[in-house]
Amino acid sequence: MKTKIPIEELLRWRLARAEAEAPRPPRAARLLELARPWWEVWPEQFRSLVERLGQVQVGYGHAMAEPTQSRTARPVAALIVRAGEEFQASASVLYFSIEGRRLRLRLQIDPAHGRSDPAFEVTFIAAATSIPLFSSHATLSVENEYRLDAELPEEVAADWGEMKVTDRMPFRLILRADTNS
Amino acid sequence: MRFVWFWTFWHWSRESFREGSLLRRPLHGIGSHWDEWYLHEASENDRQAVKETGRTESTQRQFIAWIFLHWTREANWQRNRLTARFVLGQLAQVPPFNQWAAFKEYRTSYCLGGISAVVLAEGSPGEAGDVRQIEAIALPDDSGGGAPKVVPEGFQADSPQLDIPRRAAISLLSGKGFLVFLALWITGGRRPYPRWLSIVITLGWMGLAGLVIYLLRGPDPQARLFSFATVLVTLWAGLLLIALTVVISQSFRAWRAGKKWSSKLERSQLRLRMPGGLKLKGSSAGLPFCLNTLLSIYRVDPPAAHRSWLWQRFFRKLHSEAEAWAATGTVTPNASVKSVVLEPKFRACLQQVGITRILTPRQRDGNQRVIDRVTEALTAIRRKNIQATPVLTTSQLGFAADTRALRSYSCRHVAQAIMSMGDLSSRWQMGVNVLASVVSAAILIALPDLRSIIAPPPAPIPVTPSSPSPYYLWVSLNTEKPESFQVVLESKFWTNRRAVVKQYSGANASVRAEIRLQRVAHQTSFNEEDGTVWIERRRHFLTREFAPGERVGRYSLSYLSRLGYE
Repeated sequence: MKTKIPIEELLRWRLARAEAEAPRPPRAARLLELARPWWEVWPEQFRSLVERLGQVQVGYGHAMAEPTQSRTARPVAALIVRAGEEFQASASVLYFSIEGRRLRLRLQIDPAHGRSDPAFEVTFIAAATSIPLFSSHATLSVENEYRLDAELPEEVAADWGEMKVTDRMPFRLILRADTNS
Repeated sequence: MRFVWFWTFWHWSRESFREGSLLRRPLHGIGSHWDEWYLHEASENDRQAVKETGRTESTQRQFIAWIFLHWTREANWQRNRLTARFVLGQLAQVPPFNQWAAFKEYRTSYCLGGISAVVLAEGSPGEAGDVRQIEAIALPDDSGGGAPKVVPEGFQADSPQLDIPRRAAISLLSGKGFLVFLALWITGGRRPYPRWLSIVITLGWMGLAGLVIYLLRGPDPQARLFSFATVLVTLWAGLLLIALTVVISQSFRAWRAGKKWSSKLERSQLRLRMPGGLKLKGSSAGLPFCLNTLLSIYRVDPPAAHRSWLWQRFFRKLHSEAEAWAATGTVTPNASVKSVVLEPKFRACLQQVGITRILTPRQRDGNQRVIDRVTEALTAIRRKNIQATPVLTTSQLGFAADTRALRSYSCRHVAQAIMSMGDLSSRWQMGVNVLASVVSAAILIALPDLRSIIAPPPAPIPVTPSSPSPYYLWVSLNTEKPESFQVVLESKFWTNRRAVVKQYSGANASVRAEIRLQRVAHQTSFNEEDGTVWIERRRHFLTREFAPGERVGRYSLSYLSRLGYE
């Protein structure tokens, strides 16, 4: 029996075997389906969530006794969606930086709204029009704080380019912990 | 320059805050800012340098030491000694520091220690784990009032649960709470005397009390009365001066230090750390929150306490023995302590090694008897458990180690807790104060008497009016102190009489002594003008009148009876 097999032949054999065992590639239609954002895949669910998000009222009333030069976060209305449950919440934007079309954002969710999920899919909804802008993945950083790094659509990047962390945020958030449903 | 990468990060953080990318100031958000910088902003060189620093535990510790010794000073945080601990505590949560061995101790605490709170987990009957150590850090708050004044770490709480203990702490430093504390200290608090002086002062007050009793009940001191009165007044004035000087100076110093700390606390952000991730329900952690707040403000700048013996004694004791103390009780903004559930908390403390003293509100089920009962119940359970376990050896079991001493200190006000924790209460001093108050009250009442003994009023001379009746002799005197004089008639024709000088009002108003003239039964003289009138000093001490003193006037009866008529 021949025991010496060249390595190239062995690799070709392994490749052929892997190709034979690999699952069938998805069809183009399926690929297009997967690339579609969730709000297009489940428009009914999206509509209902946006409706609930619209009910979240957040904002500070400054009943100031004396003038201060305080630097406070402007709360952003948020809806936390977990498997089978939804919470109305508010989020504070702690860091907001846009370089080119790259958005880097850190936000803190009101800690009164239960446990800290390890990650969320964050959907940005235009505050004025309730139109979904984009979505991105946010991961837990420290103590109820999430970091997010996203490529912005061109027109959004142009609109938000000059924004500061203390400005009123022109978006609301849907935070989905369970992205399968 | 060492650890340039940290300066690079710090500079980025400050610039990002200045240009409006970061919401929180560089210090307050340091952990989060580092995470952002390290993930996205750090250059390859910076990462390499960080990696080099973290290579060994020794270099990691060098970085920690550098933060303590150099960075805090160069970044202008030297006025707050807790800043370095806060920075290390925050960095310890994020990569790569969360993997560094030297940061292990900072991951769960600030390594400061503090008074424990007894916060029962849901359904817990009182377990060792329910005793949770609280750490408080006061950081400079330069947010302009926008940031919350108290930030919970490791637990969740409603705003009043955190704010009320802070307000109580401010009250204790410079408000009504401080006045209660001072009142408690003045009435029964240890004084900053050396032991020998304390003994001398106590002996002094006892001596004074003895002298007062002697003057009231002892034999008439006769000529020594002046010496006794002088000693009494001098000693009393001396002791009172010492007591008042100490009380006033210590009160003033404590007030000044408290005022300074209070304004510092108002300008600070307080971070309270309690492990367990609990959502706090109820307000029984208010007392430990309040005491830890006080401790944190001391730890910011310990030398500031040197100016006040009172605060220094309390804070030093608290700082060194905090880990032996647990506390429970609801506090109000004016620092009163309200009752809470106690029995399961005693049970928890008895099972927690290291807790030997507990502060509780003053309530019926908070006394030592309840603790003893819970201790006995716990011992019985342990005994039962041990006996149920098969024992292979025949040796005797000893249960002495099972029962630990837990002493409870009950209080109605946080000021009482301060007195207990600072070991400021002194029954001896309270006894001395009571004695001093009684003696002082007696001396104050007797002060006019003592004055007339030590500095007698000038000798009076007889003036008009004289008696309009031949049966009476009036000796009117020009004195404003009638109670200090009396008049004596010595005659061979008239009965010898002694009369006190009084103020008379009416038609012939004057200060005078009135003597009724009465012939003696066996006269040795037939001259009805025979007689001498003496003016004598009277000497009193409270209710006692001593033997007459010096004779300060001698007048003939004929002169006095004609005074004003010729």
